[in-house]
Amino acid sequence: MSKKNRYSLQLFLKSIPAMTIAGLILLPINGYATQLHASSEGIITHQVGHLFFLFSMVTLIFTITGKGLDQQKGWRLIQYSAFFFILWNLDTITAHFFDNQILAVKIENISILKMKIVTNNNSSLLAWFYYLLKLDHLLCVPAMLFFYKGLSSLVNDQRQMMGKKDIQ
Amino acid sequence: MIASFIPILAVDVLGSVAMVIIALLSLYKARILRELDPDNAVFLYLLWISTGLTIFSVSRSFGHILRQFLMLTSNAEVWHAISAYTGSINTVSFMLVGLITLFFNQNWKINEKILTGRKKLEKTHIELMDLNQTLEHKVVERTERLTSSEHKCRRIFEQSLDTIIVTDSEFKIMETNPAGITLTGYSRDEMIMKKMTAGSFFADPSEWERISHKIGSEEYILNEEVEFLRPDNEALLVLITGGIDYGAFGSAKSYHFIIKNINEKKQMERQIAQADKLAALGELSAGVAHEINNPLGIILGYSQLLLKQAPEHQDDLKIIEKHVQNCKTVVSDLLSFSRKGSPEMSIVDINKVVDGVVKFLSNHSDFRNIEMSLNPYTGDRLNILGNEQELAQVMVNLVINACHAVDGKGKIDITTKKAEQDKILIIVKDNGKGIAKKNLTRIFDPFFTTKPVGQGTGLGLSVGYGIIKRHRGDIRVKSSKEKGTVFTINLPADGTTT
Repeated sequence: MSKKNRYSLQLFLKSIPAMTIAGLILLPINGYATQLHASSEGIITHQVGHLFFLFSMVTLIFTITGKGLDQQKGWRLIQYSAFFFILWNLDTITAHFFDNQILAVKIENISILKMKIVTNNNSSLLAWFYYLLKLDHLLCVPAMLFFYKGLSSLVNDQRQMMGKKDIQ
Repeated sequence: MIASFIPILAVDVLGSVAMVIIALLSLYKARILRELDPDNAVFLYLLWISTGLTIFSVSRSFGHILRQFLMLTSNAEVWHAISAYTGSINTVSFMLVGLITLFFNQNWKINEKILTGRKKLEKTHIELMDLNQTLEHKVVERTERLTSSEHKCRRIFEQSLDTIIVTDSEFKIMETNPAGITLTGYSRDEMIMKKMTAGSFFADPSEWERISHKIGSEEYILNEEVEFLRPDNEALLVLITGGIDYGAFGSAKSYHFIIKNINEKKQMERQIAQADKLAALGELSAGVAHEINNPLGIILGYSQLLLKQAPEHQDDLKIIEKHVQNCKTVVSDLLSFSRKGSPEMSIVDINKVVDGVVKFLSNHSDFRNIEMSLNPYTGDRLNILGNEQELAQVMVNLVINACHAVDGKGKIDITTKKAEQDKILIIVKDNGKGIAKKNLTRIFDPFFTTKPVGQGTGLGLSVGYGIIKRHRGDIRVKSSKEKGTVFTINLPADGTTT
């Protein structure tokens, strides 16, 4: 770029704020300060949240392995916990996909003992799959339990290490 | 499809409760970890995650239980109204957990830095401890050596029989040893508190001026023979050696002096020289007196014969007779000075001799204005084996000399006492004009006198000296100009009586 062109570009860039202010004053239009949100944003945000949680758990698993911490029982248990949280996230994302996003499944409570799962295409396979997905605590409780066991193991390791230091 | 609701309900409710309980237990464990090592950033990170999971579990479980309750109690509309809020809280809580989890790597790096720093600090601490221990060990070792050295030096300083004096740059006394106190006659407090200088002990200020000038210019003095004057006016001959100490570690310059008392040695040397000289003079005098005595006897005999036979020359012959008699007295004194052994020795009480002399002389007109005091020894009798007349003669001579020294007006003290090793002392002290230093070595020489011609033969002290020597004794003199003279006769006590 020649020196003259570079100077022209710099001048143009410098004049943008001044031109914007001038335009807003000279050419007024209707302003919309806030954007309207559709109700579907809620489930999207929730799903993104699950994905983010899932991603962070994947990262944690790889970070623990990358630093060689999986040699220690406590950190290995935390890895298992992260793995179960990943499964739980996949479970919930799928369940929300069917019931909240594409509205392929709907539950109707018949009584305290019975429930009806209604699918769009009357697929019993989807209904049973959805039934299993609804048992998500079978994934998140073990995840939490592994986390607790991991922390317990780390506490024991730390106490043993401190005991050795005291003896030394 | 119709399915059983019980498994869903049971897993949902029990799972929610279990989630809360396990999350709280996890938070408790994470807190323990944090307390075990508060500096560990990874444990802090685990505490954050536990907190996030607890919030997540509580919010989610609360939502699930509430939903089941409302649905079962046919309040589905209420649940639909609040489900959006509980869902949002739930979303935020697990996003928070996810967010915290992503910070693991950063926490790990921070922790590694902390651990590295801590290891370095521990290593440095150990090195410092080692250094400190080595230093302490060395300090203890050096202190012991220093203490031992200081103790050795202190013992040398304290036990030294020679005087050691330390002064500041202006020669003011800073320290002295017990020998210094004995030699100078001043107490340590007097020397230090009154800021006495090393020059204060010198009898002759010009001597000190010379010595101080020499040490200033040459930085040392070696075996300088000088005279000290004690507070009781006793003069002491000393050998003084000294030097400058420029001090260590920036301390001020000081002077160190070592002073040796050579007074007794010098006196002994003088006495030996004196004795040798007087012995030689005695031999000479005996020879001369013997040679002169016979012709004098002949002259005296013939002059007395002529006095009887030729009365016309009586006056001239009497003059001859008088002078011959004088000559005979002198010759007799000379013989008395040089005589070896006394033929008539007996037990003599010294107190009796002295008392007799004092009584005899106190009646004399020359002693009218003299305060004469006698301090006899009051214990056992002071018996010696000797000749009473000769000892009385010595005492008469000494007291008459003292009378002349005070010019007929003054004080004469005569003391007798028993000394160690069976010695008896007779001390004759006057407060007269004293004897000049240059004459002190000659006063026992025959014919030495400071009196005008015709007033003394100069044989009194020589004869006294001879008599005392014959009694196996010793006569000494100490004199200070204008302050008086002290004659001390030392005689061996008679061992057969007490």
